[in-house]
Amino acid sequence: MIKIPTRVLLVDDEKDFVEMLSLRLEEVGERVTPAHSGQECLEILEKDNIDVVVLDIKMPGMDGIETLREIKRRFPIVEVIMLTGHGTTETAVEGMKLGAFDYLMKPADFDDLAVKMEGARKRKDEQEERIRKAEATFLLRKSGNI
Amino acid sequence: MEGIRLLLVDDEEEFRGTIAKRLTLRGISPEQAASGEECLSVLEKMPMDVVVLDVKMPGMSGIEALHHIKEKYPKTEVILLTGHATTLDGVEGIKAGAFDYLSKPIELDHLIGKIKHAYDKIRREEEKLKEAEFREKMEQQMIATERLASLGTLAAGVAHEINNPLAIIKESAGWMKLILKKDECAEIPRKQDFDMALNKIEKGVERAKRITLQLLGFARKDDSVLAELNLKELADEAIRLVTREAANKDIEIVQEMDIPGNTIWSDPYQLRQVLINLLTNAIHATGSGGNITIKLEVIGEEVALSVQDTGQGIPKENLERIFEPFFSTKSPGEGTGLGLFVTRGIVEKLGGKIEVESRLGHGTSFCIKLPKYLEVKEGLAGRDHTDILNKIIKMG
Ligand SMILES: Nc1ncnc2c1ncn2[C@@H]1O[C@H](COP(=O)(O)OP(=O)(O)O)[C@@H](O)[C@H]1O
Ligand SMILES: [Mg+2]
Ligand SMILES: [Mg+2]
Repeated sequence: MIKIPTRVLLVDDEKDFVEMLSLRLEEVGERVTPAHSGQECLEILEKDNIDVVVLDIKMPGMDGIETLREIKRRFPIVEVIMLTGHGTTETAVEGMKLGAFDYLMKPADFDDLAVKMEGARKRKDEQEERIRKAEATFLLRKSGNI
Repeated sequence: MEGIRLLLVDDEEEFRGTIAKRLTLRGISPEQAASGEECLSVLEKMPMDVVVLDVKMPGMSGIEALHHIKEKYPKTEVILLTGHATTLDGVEGIKAGAFDYLSKPIELDHLIGKIKHAYDKIRREEEKLKEAEFREKMEQQMIATERLASLGTLAAGVAHEINNPLAIIKESAGWMKLILKKDECAEIPRKQDFDMALNKIEKGVERAKRITLQLLGFARKDDSVLAELNLKELADEAIRLVTREAANKDIEIVQEMDIPGNTIWSDPYQLRQVLINLLTNAIHATGSGGNITIKLEVIGEEVALSVQDTGQGIPKENLERIFEPFFSTKSPGEGTGLGLFVTRGIVEKLGGKIEVESRLGHGTSFCIKLPKYLEVKEGLAGRDHTDILNKIIKMG
């Protein structure tokens, strides 16, 4: 069975971390785009098709929560998994309220990340499916009406 | 002047006896001595508040005796009795530290008045001393609390910073392991060596992660929750989490928690952490077949929760140190030395205190005393641990 790669956007100001986790994710068959700031993350979402954003909360400049808010406003269908520090559960909860799919504590367990990414990807696919159906009904109705 | 300890020293027995009798009638019963030498030997056995001391005595003179008294018992006040024509002696005496002097023949009311003044002075100084001691203790406590607070902040900062490079190491090792599993790598020489080393790296990362998590657990700011909690249920939960470890060593955990009033108002998550830390330590210290008792008592507005084991005990020289961060007698893989440090931090944060008693070879008992109601007047803002620490500082 051929795995359909998840298109992951990995955002963290730690360049080495982004590089190594990207390599590892690519090694298990995902397709990873790296980004090192909230700004860069949003620019990439503008032009690329992304399923899941893995987003560090603590970044200089535009931080993770701000970035998340922007993502959910402009690209609501994209799922976000947050990387938080321990002891910042409140931030994690805030992120969940803003619509993040889930969160992980850094340094995260790779298998945990894999499971959560899978879940996020599934939720996004379902959302898309629902939208497609809704659009179809809408179009059908529209053409029926004419 | 109830309870005053008075010594009357005079070589004239008749005079001494009369004064003593009259003083007794007025509610002060003095000890007596007939000479300077006897006076000093009485003082050696019985500490005195006030000594009424005749100056002119055969053998050791009153002034000489006074010098000895002031040197050996600086808190004892001395009233000198001088002959009528020898006020000079009195002045000498005051220079040498006497409280006052009276010229013979003396008037009883006069004497009693002076004794009373001397006694008042002693009591005032005792009070002052107590206050100074109290203030010093408070200051030390404040310093300790502040140090704990800044240590917590520092520790949290360090832990956060270390987590990032840890994540890099972890992903790098994980990635290499993935590559080694590929078909293309099936034939590389000494592959097991690489595997072995990578596993060691991963284990090392796990260990470092445990340390940073514990440090952050101590300093965490924002998930302190206050709730009404049942200590019996809390203990059940904590025991459940260590039960396998205990069973492996055939250790029985006994609960004596079923008493009325076993609910308190505090932070359940942090208290559970405390119990887990204490239970884990107890399990580590206890040989197979031993047992651990977790017991609850209600004392007024406080609860006392103790975890007692029949383990190896703690040597005296370690008792002072077990609460220090990173103090551990366990192998590096097993202990972080942060358990008790964090535990004490939490308990104090929750307005309680922790005590330990131990007998080498017999066992150890840790006892936590907590207020039934942890009052946090600042409301939600009080959930920030620095606030609670500040409160502790203010309370002293
Ligand atoms: N119940 C106990 N019996 C004997 N020794 C104990 C007990 N609890 C703690 N200790 C001693 O105190 C040390 C510090 O404990 P702790 O701070 O929990 O760190 P750790 O358990 O990681 O060593 C332990 O290494 C051990 O020597
Ligand atoms: Mg960061
Ligand atoms: Mg321990």
